[in-house]
Amino acid sequence: MSDFMQWVTHGIKRGRFEVSPRTILYLAASVIALTLVATLYLMLVSQTAARGRHIEQLREELFRLQRENEQLEVEVARESSTPRLLERALDLGLDFAPAEQVEFLFPTAGDQ
Amino acid sequence: MAEGPRHRLRLVSTLLIGLVLVIVAQLVQVQIVDHPFYEEWAKDQRVRPIMMAEPPRGTIRDRDGYLLAGNAVVYSIEATPAHVVGAEAAATALGSLLHMPAAHIQKLLEGEDLWVQIASPMSKEVGEQVAALELPGITVRSLWVREYPEGVLAAHVLGFCTVECMGFYGVEGFHDALLQPERVEWEGPVDTASEQIPWVVVPVVLPRPGTGLVLTLDRTVQALVEDELARSVQEYQAEGGTIIVMDPRTFEILALASLPSYEPGRYTDFFAHDPLPFEDPAVSHQYEPGSVFKVLTVAAALNVGLVTPETTYYDQGWIEVGGQVVENASRQAYGEQTVADILIESLNVGVAWLSMQMGPDTFYRYARAFGIGQPTGVDLAGEISGQLWLPGDCEHWYDSNLGTNSFGQGLAVTPLQMIAAVATVANDGARLRPHVVAQRIAPDGTVSTFQSVVEAQVLSPQTASQLAEMMVRVVEEGVPQAKVEGYRIAGKTGTAQIPIPGGYDKEGTIASFVGFGPVPDPQLIILVKLDRPKTSQWGSDTAARAFQRLAARLFVVLGIPPNSMEVAEAVGR
Repeated sequence: MSDFMQWVTHGIKRGRFEVSPRTILYLAASVIALTLVATLYLMLVSQTAARGRHIEQLREELFRLQRENEQLEVEVARESSTPRLLERALDLGLDFAPAEQVEFLFPTAGDQ
Repeated sequence: MAEGPRHRLRLVSTLLIGLVLVIVAQLVQVQIVDHPFYEEWAKDQRVRPIMMAEPPRGTIRDRDGYLLAGNAVVYSIEATPAHVVGAEAAATALGSLLHMPAAHIQKLLEGEDLWVQIASPMSKEVGEQVAALELPGITVRSLWVREYPEGVLAAHVLGFCTVECMGFYGVEGFHDALLQPERVEWEGPVDTASEQIPWVVVPVVLPRPGTGLVLTLDRTVQALVEDELARSVQEYQAEGGTIIVMDPRTFEILALASLPSYEPGRYTDFFAHDPLPFEDPAVSHQYEPGSVFKVLTVAAALNVGLVTPETTYYDQGWIEVGGQVVENASRQAYGEQTVADILIESLNVGVAWLSMQMGPDTFYRYARAFGIGQPTGVDLAGEISGQLWLPGDCEHWYDSNLGTNSFGQGLAVTPLQMIAAVATVANDGARLRPHVVAQRIAPDGTVSTFQSVVEAQVLSPQTASQLAEMMVRVVEEGVPQAKVEGYRIAGKTGTAQIPIPGGYDKEGTIASFVGFGPVPDPQLIILVKLDRPKTSQWGSDTAARAFQRLAARLFVVLGIPPNSMEVAEAVGR
């Protein structure tokens, strides 16, 4: 028996326990397997958390863009509202045309 | 081993085993027996409902897609005092951005409250500047506010939306449930500052914005209608009024305006007004229509084959119906008159005679078929049914009602009911359901289009056509004020007394005019109603003139060619 195994087993021997090297190997393999499983689990959990965070950020970005979009749409609508357009048209000297000044075009079948 | 140490060893072992048993028992109690309680307790501390950012309310657009009601963003600056670090510095920084005294903000931040609102609503720029400071314990929360980019335009059609995003009146009120966004609440782990901890992949369930609505309204027509209404109310010194423009072929409401009005975006400013201007008089207020109703009486008599436009009767200036004498408005006798003359001269005696010939059963059957006394079913909030007492109602209906009802007295209609009834004549006798929503656009882009609902085929197309021609004669021979150059207009005036307790008001009238054109293919029907005009009490001097000005503009704006051009074009082919 090597010095190391003697060092490991001297107390057991003293307690009248006998552990075979094979058992120790199994124990070591089990510990390594458990460590691997734990590491994989941690990696999975951290990836999940990171993915969750990313989705949350994307969602926030989506809401921000949605707010921006709605705001811009309202601003565009305000700038092109009827009173604003009418005001600009009158400033440009335009006025309402009576029916007799309007030329109505009648499309014929060939025009369609 | 000696007996003493062995005894002590047993004692210690027993004590230790007992202690282990106590611990095991406690563990069993905590881990197994009380497990649900502790699990719930832990969940209460760690898991909180997480409200996702609220999606916007559905937009409202006119028929060409112009935005009538949209959503803007404002910000609420809030704080959790327990998490604020450096209250004095934070207060100074916030004070300069929010234009508030720093001392006041500091007092809020150092208070005992769990949550305080520092300022709201703040503009987008200020909100973003505060968020950029990244102050611990200070939250910048976005809020939606309803915006009406066109200002006062179509106020009564749109209604308004409160700060809590609840819709009232008009389309906002009627379609509130559709316009409301779909909120999503999700429970998840949070940290001590109630911020979400992404321990798990959050579900990708996004809150859905409200359904968008596309109206039948044309904003240009609406603007012109509001312009004309304001002008007429001022020119004829009326207390208020209503104008409705519809397409008689589909019963789509192209414009609807009433005065007094308000600005939906500033509705709170109008709470001091008495009466409140929020109810839409076009659907929520009733009036006695007066002579406009004669169109319906004549229509019924023609449709049952009782008379033709050429049928004559002798007008002696009065007629007794149910023990009550009915006279013409002019108090004159007209001698022998045709049925067409009844409309042209607006003879009360003539329509009372027709109603007596028909009898109450036929008369009221047609009144109901025209939609009188029942809501039209329009998609606007607050529609009332008007008032039509029927012969079965012993308390309110007398034999004399048959005579007075025939010329629009003793019954009440809403302006929308009246225009829908006359539009039935313009639409070959078919009464459809008036509506303002043309399309619904779901958040996923699915479009559902309003399908026309035929309420009743009230008249035969022949009768409708006959009546339309009679109404053209009304305009050409009786109310030239309503004539529009180049177009064949059919119409009828109404000058109605206003009922007050104990009789009728001698001071004012409701002046109205309903007209459509160009006959024989009407594409536009307009109702003008003016409340208590002072320059003249007659519909022909006030409402008919307003109709003429408006129709002349709208025919051009909507690209409806004059009759003369149609004839010229047909000849040229």
